[in-house]
Amino acid sequence: MQAAIEKRSNSIKASGFKISGAKVFYFLLILIYTYFSYLLLKITLQYIPYNSDVAFLRIKQDVINIPFYKMAFFTHVYTAMLVLPAGLTQFSLYIRRSFPQIHKYTGWLYAAVVILLAGPSGLYMGIYANGGLVSQISFCLLAVLWIYFTAMAIVKVTRHDYKAHREFLIRSFALTLSAITLRAWKYLLVFLFEPRPMDVYQIVAWLGWIPNLIIAEMLIRKFIKLKIK
Amino acid sequence: MNYLNKIAMLLMLIAIIACGKRSEQNTQQKENNSTGSTTEQQNNPNNPNNDPAPVTKTDKLPVIGSYTGGFTASVYDNSKNYVYENRITVFIDSLAGDMMYGRSVVAGNNRQFKGKFTKEGSNYKAEVTEPGDDKYDGKFTFTVKIDEANTNEIYMEGKWQANDKKLDVTERTYNLYKKDFAYDPQHSLPENVQWAELYGSDPKFPDRIESLTAEVTKYNGSTTELKKEDLQNLYKGDLEIIRNAIYARHGYSFKNRRVRFIFDQFVPWYMPVSTDVRGQLTDLEKKNIDLIKRFEEHAEKYYDEYGR
Repeated sequence: MQAAIEKRSNSIKASGFKISGAKVFYFLLILIYTYFSYLLLKITLQYIPYNSDVAFLRIKQDVINIPFYKMAFFTHVYTAMLVLPAGLTQFSLYIRRSFPQIHKYTGWLYAAVVILLAGPSGLYMGIYANGGLVSQISFCLLAVLWIYFTAMAIVKVTRHDYKAHREFLIRSFALTLSAITLRAWKYLLVFLFEPRPMDVYQIVAWLGWIPNLIIAEMLIRKFIKLKIK
Repeated sequence: MNYLNKIAMLLMLIAIIACGKRSEQNTQQKENNSTGSTTEQQNNPNNPNNDPAPVTKTDKLPVIGSYTGGFTASVYDNSKNYVYENRITVFIDSLAGDMMYGRSVVAGNNRQFKGKFTKEGSNYKAEVTEPGDDKYDGKFTFTVKIDEANTNEIYMEGKWQANDKKLDVTERTYNLYKKDFAYDPQHSLPENVQWAELYGSDPKFPDRIESLTAEVTKYNGSTTELKKEDLQNLYKGDLEIIRNAIYARHGYSFKNRRVRFIFDQFVPWYMPVSTDVRGQLTDLEKKNIDLIKRFEEHAEKYYDEYGR
């Protein structure tokens, strides 16, 4: 949901200029975001209780016994969900102003999960991704950038460079949203064109995060312009 | 002493020759058994009623054997969604007096029959009935036409009438040719099965037509070990047919209408002879079935769902 990022910028504008129409829009986006988070939660719940021959893993039996693969997979599945609530808290101007402690603690949780757990496990799984080199490169690149942007955001905040902190987190969160957008693209492409399963997988491997990042960059440029004004 | 030695040698020689001859006879007998009683072997494991089909020395008769072809609806309820044609195999297992014993395999049903026959010239006319405890049981009336000059061309033609007159199809006709079943792992799907439309539609998309693609003829799960790379980009329909082709090579009779339609209508070598072939599958085939099944289930559950 590239729009989810848009909504943050709008919300910042909205609260600034007190446009109630934008607040409705903001509310709708939260609703959509919550709905997609719920869908992801359902996907996560397929792996509870622990079972290494279920759902996606049914067609990963060739790599399941590679050392650490199972560890990486379940680390990713069980922890990646934790970063989604960050979307509802970290970009809210209201929470940042009224409850800075919430921003700080959930921020650390977000960074820790991405940098230490979900990111590295995603990178390791990317090496063995379905769909050959095409998707493997995409998923590895995605993981590396995700970790890098998040780590840079932390570095910047410790140096009190809040502008860069925000920019890196917009990028990081754009990649976090690829969990939602990748699956949404897949659903849409299958609905419209019924492509072969691995063709669609390779396409969404890239389509899932590149447009997100482009939109993030566009938003960042827009912010800078706004600041100058 | 010399004499005794010679006699002993002679006796031993005779013994050796005799033994040799006997073992020759044994192997011949075994060969005879293995060719002669194939119909019986196929019959016994699937004998659901334990019919006391008497074994008679009729194996050599040209009428004994299996007949296969289309089983075509001739009296039916047009308002129902009936199957116009299935492929059937009729086995004539034995004759005893004026009684004929056999079975038929069609649409996942394996049913014994017995009844009276008469001989007219070289032809056989028979009226045989199924036990009557199955919904689809009925009566076969047929003639086996034997051209004595050319026993390679033996036909069976006739009709079948259902006991239950309320069935969608109450009468079927058939014109079957005599053919022995043989498992051949090399059997491949014919070209014209590519793009064949699959029967039935997805309840989620009732207007959508599902068809096979050219990929379906590329893979043989009975001769080659299929890899993840072969299967991961295939549609569910293709996977289904590639997997079921393994069963079809063993003569499995499909109850599943969607799969049955493809093999009955498009695959010339397909001959339904059994409703359980699990015991005949090779290790390679079992392995391939397991892998294909995984991708099939994945396609079924996740292909058009929100997820990967």
